[in-house]
Amino acid sequence: MAMTLEQISEMLAKYPVKVEKNRKKHIVIKDSAAGRQEIEANTRTIPGIITNRGCAYAGCKGVVLGPLKDMVHITHGPIGCAFYTWGARRNKARSEDPGQNFMNYCVSTDMQESDIVFGGEKKLAKVIDEVAEIFKPKAITVSATCPVGLIGDDINAVAKAAEERLGIPILAFSCEGYKGVSQSAGHHIANNGLMERVIGAGEREEADGKYPINILGEYNIGGDSWEIERILEEVGYTVVSVMTGDGSYEDLQNAHTAELNLVQCHRSINYIAGMLETKYGTPWLKVNFIGVAATAESLRNMAAYFDDPALTARTEEVIARELARVEPQLEQYRKLCEGKTAFCFVGGSRGHHYQGLFAELGIDTVLAGYEFAHRDDYEGREVIPEIKTDADSKNIPDLHVSADERRFRLKMSPERLAELKRQIPLSYYAGMNADMADGTIMVDDLNHYETEEFIKLLKPDIFASGIKDKYVVQKMGIPAKQLHSYDYSGPYAGFNGAVNFARDVSMGFVSPTWNFIVPPWKDEPLLTGSVTEEGVA
Amino acid sequence: MAELQAAKSVSENPCHMCMPIGGILPLKGVEGSMVLIHGSQGCSTYMRRTIAEHFNEPVDVASSALNEKGTVYGGGENLKQALDNIRKVYNPRLIGILTTCLAETIGEDIERMAAEYLAERGLTDLVVVPVNTPGYGGSQADGYYLALRQIVAALAVPTSRHDKINIIAANVSPADIREIKRLLAAMDIEYTLLPDFADTLDRPYEEKYTRMAPGGTPLTDIRAMTGAAATIEMGVTVPPAISPGQLLADEYGVALHRLPIPVGVAATDLFLRTLREITGRKVPDDLLAERGRLLDAMIDSHKHNFAGRSTIFGEPEMVYAVTRICLENGIWPTVVAAGGAGDAAVSLFRAALAGSPEPSYFLRETDFSEIRFRSAAAGVNVAIGPSDGRYLTEKAGIPLVRLGFPILDRMGGQRILSVGYTGTANLLDRITNTLLDAKHHSYRSKLYEEFYKGRRLNMAPAQTR
Repeated sequence: MAMTLEQISEMLAKYPVKVEKNRKKHIVIKDSAAGRQEIEANTRTIPGIITNRGCAYAGCKGVVLGPLKDMVHITHGPIGCAFYTWGARRNKARSEDPGQNFMNYCVSTDMQESDIVFGGEKKLAKVIDEVAEIFKPKAITVSATCPVGLIGDDINAVAKAAEERLGIPILAFSCEGYKGVSQSAGHHIANNGLMERVIGAGEREEADGKYPINILGEYNIGGDSWEIERILEEVGYTVVSVMTGDGSYEDLQNAHTAELNLVQCHRSINYIAGMLETKYGTPWLKVNFIGVAATAESLRNMAAYFDDPALTARTEEVIARELARVEPQLEQYRKLCEGKTAFCFVGGSRGHHYQGLFAELGIDTVLAGYEFAHRDDYEGREVIPEIKTDADSKNIPDLHVSADERRFRLKMSPERLAELKRQIPLSYYAGMNADMADGTIMVDDLNHYETEEFIKLLKPDIFASGIKDKYVVQKMGIPAKQLHSYDYSGPYAGFNGAVNFARDVSMGFVSPTWNFIVPPWKDEPLLTGSVTEEGVA
Repeated sequence: MAELQAAKSVSENPCHMCMPIGGILPLKGVEGSMVLIHGSQGCSTYMRRTIAEHFNEPVDVASSALNEKGTVYGGGENLKQALDNIRKVYNPRLIGILTTCLAETIGEDIERMAAEYLAERGLTDLVVVPVNTPGYGGSQADGYYLALRQIVAALAVPTSRHDKINIIAANVSPADIREIKRLLAAMDIEYTLLPDFADTLDRPYEEKYTRMAPGGTPLTDIRAMTGAAATIEMGVTVPPAISPGQLLADEYGVALHRLPIPVGVAATDLFLRTLREITGRKVPDDLLAERGRLLDAMIDSHKHNFAGRSTIFGEPEMVYAVTRICLENGIWPTVVAAGGAGDAAVSLFRAALAGSPEPSYFLRETDFSEIRFRSAAAGVNVAIGPSDGRYLTEKAGIPLVRLGFPILDRMGGQRILSVGYTGTANLLDRITNTLLDAKHHSYRSKLYEEFYKGRRLNMAPAQTR
């Protein structure tokens, strides 16, 4: 059922006028005849709206830094911020040296009132010393929370002094929660810090194997990265580093040795991707390992980049073998999914990525959106020059890098690069809109009220989102699929992941649970009898 | 009891959360209420995530979404806009405003802002409850009671005396709240129970979803708490300054009975006896039969329980209740960690733990690394508390009985029943069976280790299992 502008206006009329005007710009009905459709994104959240967005600290420590397993991540702040990022993202990590895997730890300065009054620098310095002694990590990060910036703790100075004292890198991130408009600000801050201090800090000039690549913007939720790496390694690639799922300080240091950077989540990591290109001359390729077709396409694009007949042949071999293996499995689930509709509302890239996988199962995405993406994630990178820099984005400084004199190397001739760019998404992302069908809806920063209203109007069969809106959806009798944590399932990426996803989604549709919603007496009359001429018998 | 203070500055795997998350829960137990967190939007998002995962329920909590501009010019405008938007979409009768580290550090005067807002908009029906809950100011347990006190303070009006009694519930589960109501109904007692999130945080599936969860303590009942015959507050560890019952006693002369959460025989006896004394009602035979069944269960399990050595952690009030049930059953509390317990609470624990024939450690400001170290060294074989204690299982092999808030890695945190005689029997079974489970898993290998190791046997070790 397609939705009309009138219906959307009616829905928004419930808001105060200012809010109504604002929200209207965040909602677009896809119409390919209308040319490029602008959507408002990455602007301030409306106070009092039940948004699903988080803060800069969440984006920095929670998303980008958190998965780096061999660093201890210290939260400088009151206890809550540290607690709420403890194991919340299901980033999986394994380590050859279990003594250097700190994923299960939640480390904080647990600031008290006295620290707010007298400053927390001394406590932070002491905590850094203790962490170095207890864990003996290769490196430490310090992430700031709201009060830190407000009371003027100079975490950079504390980190620098500790670094000299302890002889290990200590990275400070000023990712106070109030910065920017969402966790997106935190991604940017983390990207800058990693680029400045970690990437390229290694001694190696060359990678250890053939076709060396980095995987950027892959956080190994439920083991996604392991499935992607399995496929890539079978084709013959050497994965230098993953940013940052199951990633490590150790690997990231030598990320400059890769010949190509793959970008899975464009929003959270495109800054590093761009800077790697400027500094080392390594282009990035927008990939999508969600869905069988998208995975195969990404593999073929990679082969086209490296342009080696043996690699291309091996790519086709792996694709053919994997397809033959998973297709029959997918087919049985397709029978259960065919003809259904979905809402797909996730962070900054999955809202787009999962649409292809849904489509492979015969499920149409009728509404999609991102929590914290920017306009380029919807409309494609060509809009970037048009995006106005507002006060909020100005607060997150860009890190300016230049070509590394020693290590910058063009990976191919400019002519061939230009030619390749015409064929594959090299250093380019086309955005979500390109893949949306006419009449479907894009909503930026969807909130609880709109979730309910859109569900009532469009009655989707499944809602792919996160835990905060999951229970609203399920209370409305619609199965929900958490695409942040995968409801303790996964992996969903790659060929095996597609099968897992198909299985989980099908379970949502055919669970016998749904049969019991209507009580058996619902349509039975309270009394049975018949009316005769004399009355009720 | 050896009382230990933290020897280090670093918090390594915390066993408490921040103040505002505790403040959300009681506000969810008031009829027609909404919650607004004044601060960065991340706070409300994180807290909603945690609460939703525990209860498996929608947890709508708004945020004033302060950003850098707000930190410079103050957050008044954001706060008012947020209140406008909440009213439009939810039309609540009460809005609780909880502050955060951010709001408190920049010195936001939410009481004044709230009053200004109501005056500016000419609102006479809407109740706004401002609660100062800086994240660095205390734990979630402090936030819970302070929010309750502020709810009572905001609504209380002088009322003529009546026969109802006030029950202030600790941070127990919705199932526990329902059980307490059942006990009160069984004794035919009229009451006002605050907060009542039995339905709001454990909603039945209904044909039609409503944005505001039905249920919660009615505002009119809260207003009339001032005229009640007495208040029973489950909060022996709660400092008087944040106690709602204390406020009703000091300002309206309502007799206050501070009791532990009715977990265990003695605490349930005390709860029922106090009810009897206040109202003159008898404890009905049905409840006495439940008491008898609990005793029967305790006798049946006593040998297994007596082999138990426990680590108990979480919010002080729940830790105190669990410490007592462990003492009643010989599951000697070995490590007791009650983050944020005040001096008065520490004396209570001291008195209780004096009843244990074995040494015990009491940890006041602590984290799981300390708890794990102490527990492993003391030979603890069962841990009782929220789900973050899984770390003790993973690292030290100590099995965990999940109890309290939050339970994030299992379903049904909202359905865990532990109060009253029946609830106690439930909890005790969970503890006993956890001990038994460990025994069944290890006793063959243990016997082998003890009796056969080192001997020359034809049997391979694997076959003896």
